[in-house]
Amino acid sequence: MKAIGEFTKGIIKENPVFIMALGLCPALAVSTSVENAIGMGAAATFVLLGSNLIISLIKNFIPAKIRIPCFILVIASFVTIVDMTMHAYLPPLHKSLGIFIPLIVVNCLILSRAEAFASKNGVGLSILDALGMGIGFTLALVIIATFREILGSGTFLNMQILPQSYKPMIVAILPPGAFFTIGLLMGLFNQLKKKNN
Amino acid sequence: MKNILKPTGILLIICVISSTILSVLYSRTKPIIEANNKAAIEAARKAVLPDAVKESFTAVDVNNIASGQPDFEPDSILFYKGYNQAGELVGFTYKSAGQGYSSSTKVVTMVGINLDLKIDKIKIIKQQETPGLGANCTSTDFTQHFSHKDPSTIKVDKDGGEIKSITGATITTRAVTNSIRDEFLTIKKDMMKQLDKGAE
Repeated sequence: MKAIGEFTKGIIKENPVFIMALGLCPALAVSTSVENAIGMGAAATFVLLGSNLIISLIKNFIPAKIRIPCFILVIASFVTIVDMTMHAYLPPLHKSLGIFIPLIVVNCLILSRAEAFASKNGVGLSILDALGMGIGFTLALVIIATFREILGSGTFLNMQILPQSYKPMIVAILPPGAFFTIGLLMGLFNQLKKKNN
Repeated sequence: MKNILKPTGILLIICVISSTILSVLYSRTKPIIEANNKAAIEAARKAVLPDAVKESFTAVDVNNIASGQPDFEPDSILFYKGYNQAGELVGFTYKSAGQGYSSSTKVVTMVGINLDLKIDKIKIIKQQETPGLGANCTSTDFTQHFSHKDPSTIKVDKDGGEIKSITGATITTRAVTNSIRDEFLTIKKDMMKQLDKGAE
């Protein structure tokens, strides 16, 4: 029962973007289109899985005093390994996901899951936590991107859905649009949370 | 003393392990990545000058440094000549690089030039601009604006030119446009020489 809870908590109850306000920088930067949001979400979930897995494996070996530099080392190495391997063996995938790699290294979501969860729990639970958080992060990005892409370009996943006569609200795909959208959605999520309590 | 030595030692071990893995992987993947990049550049050359045969591209090198060394690409290569199936010169391709919004990576464009010295097509081959804004420079919606334009006079609309800038990414648009123009102006003379040679 606990395992299912660790998996589902990241999706809504502890959604990384809307509730915990983690990983906001990439959430602002790449939520201009749904396609980008899915790419970033998938790449971040993959790295999160890898880093949670490694850190839960070596947690007993790392002294508490120097845990943060150790986590950063592990995460940065893992991201670089993924980057180089993908670049060499899967060039088409690297072409579409490669631009998100530098944003993932500095994603505080990954470091915070290492610190708050993987360093205190076993491998199995850490993987579930990473999956749940990754899905929650992807879902949040897709929701933000849906609003921004429809308002800002009149499209959804690059398909025209609003009539051609619609004049795109350019502010929606510019950085201020990201703040507006995230602010409104955070408010909505908090309202829902209050009601549930 | 133990409080200092133990964490230091463990940090050292982790650093050594991760840098060993990274350096081994780097040396393994480097040749493959370079081969991939080379193939991508050859494909880009063909894409911006579709009339030319892929294998026909030959470098025009002022100093002749690269002659006989096919894998060597010095800066002295000005541009490439492309020939069609019949062996006739159909145009040139060159690379231009401009400083965009990313501090570390310049926006690199492959440009195809027809015999009338107008742009055939362009393709962005390297960039690290902001996803969703400047990164849109790779889409054909943007690159098609350059076709059939005179590269010696192109300008961004905000500077009084005819290239429509990407929404929210004037700096990227400017980097692409100005680098194409400036690079063209530097190599124009040598391109004309090649044209005269072909006419003889």
